[in-house]
Amino acid sequence: MVEGFKAEMYKIANRLKARMGARYKDQKEGFLAPDVIEEADKLIAQLCEICPDVIGKHLENLSSLWDQMRDMPNSPERTETAEKIFTLSHEIKDMGSMCGYGLIAYFAESLRDYIARTDLNLKAQVVIIQAHLDAMQMCHRKGYRTDAGPEAEELKKMVKMAIDKYH
Amino acid sequence: MSIFKKKDLPYDLSNFTILIVEDSEHMQNLMASMLKVFGVGEILACANGTEAMDLLTVLQASRKSKYLTSVDIVLMDWLMPKGNGEQLLDWIRKSEKDAIRFLPVIVVSGYTTEYIAAKARDMGANETLVKPISGTNLAGRICSVIDHPRPFIKSSDFFGPDRRRHNVAYEGRERRSTPAEEVKVKTNG
Repeated sequence: MVEGFKAEMYKIANRLKARMGARYKDQKEGFLAPDVIEEADKLIAQLCEICPDVIGKHLENLSSLWDQMRDMPNSPERTETAEKIFTLSHEIKDMGSMCGYGLIAYFAESLRDYIARTDLNLKAQVVIIQAHLDAMQMCHRKGYRTDAGPEAEELKKMVKMAIDKYH
Repeated sequence: MSIFKKKDLPYDLSNFTILIVEDSEHMQNLMASMLKVFGVGEILACANGTEAMDLLTVLQASRKSKYLTSVDIVLMDWLMPKGNGEQLLDWIRKSEKDAIRFLPVIVVSGYTTEYIAAKARDMGANETLVKPISGTNLAGRICSVIDHPRPFIKSSDFFGPDRRRHNVAYEGRERRSTPAEEVKVKTNG
């Protein structure tokens, strides 16, 4: 820091605008062509077509990781497996919320946040994680999308009971 | 002078190189495809912060090579194993190399909390984009980074784009702790 000053301000030339050439020099605010934005939205729609299959595969992986982790004692290996579950549930949450599978995204987010907690004991983890997995598998099997409605409320209640009882 | 009003053109991003840092293969592919559709000239991708740090270091060191390009914008996920967005952003803003520390960074976060947006801003992110992304909001953030390059501020506990986006009259309590006369202005580039 320059002596006598509490802060420094760097005024930077707009290199990004310069990269596009002189024809944009006077344009105050820019935009991308509406047709390319529409095209980009179509790509999201295409991804969403395969979303149920991707989520299905992630759930299989999640179950298999959970099978390994459930009976492990507290160990670095268990922590590593928990991290994998954390990442996978985060990915399910991303995909689910991107493609309108709000309920599965809701449980995936909840699982992600629970598995990140270090204060849970093993017994609590077993019940709470299993409840999340069951709820997500049910959503996937039955094709539940929205996180509202009687089925969604029922599943949320089931998971909440597990959390309230063991947390 | 022409009697016709000059028509604004959509941005041409063909000279741009954008680095995507995203661990999810599906999201990485999606973002890369969207950027390709937007006309971005070169798209680089890394699966985590550590890989991105290595790549940026190599690119910075080889800036004069005609075969390697320098990155113009970084689009990074916040939550990733092996070097998350927080670590990467911290590394970028603390870099001694101007080509790295002044890089425009757009944080793409799956966490829908204001906490993450505020944290990313306080660590020096230029923009935050909350997932799920759409064509409109991704394009909007890219245009914002191009249109509004805020000056960078260096203080004892912050380095990054000025967090005060607007210079408007404000009647509330003054919370800006550093008076203007105590700010040294430098011009870079």
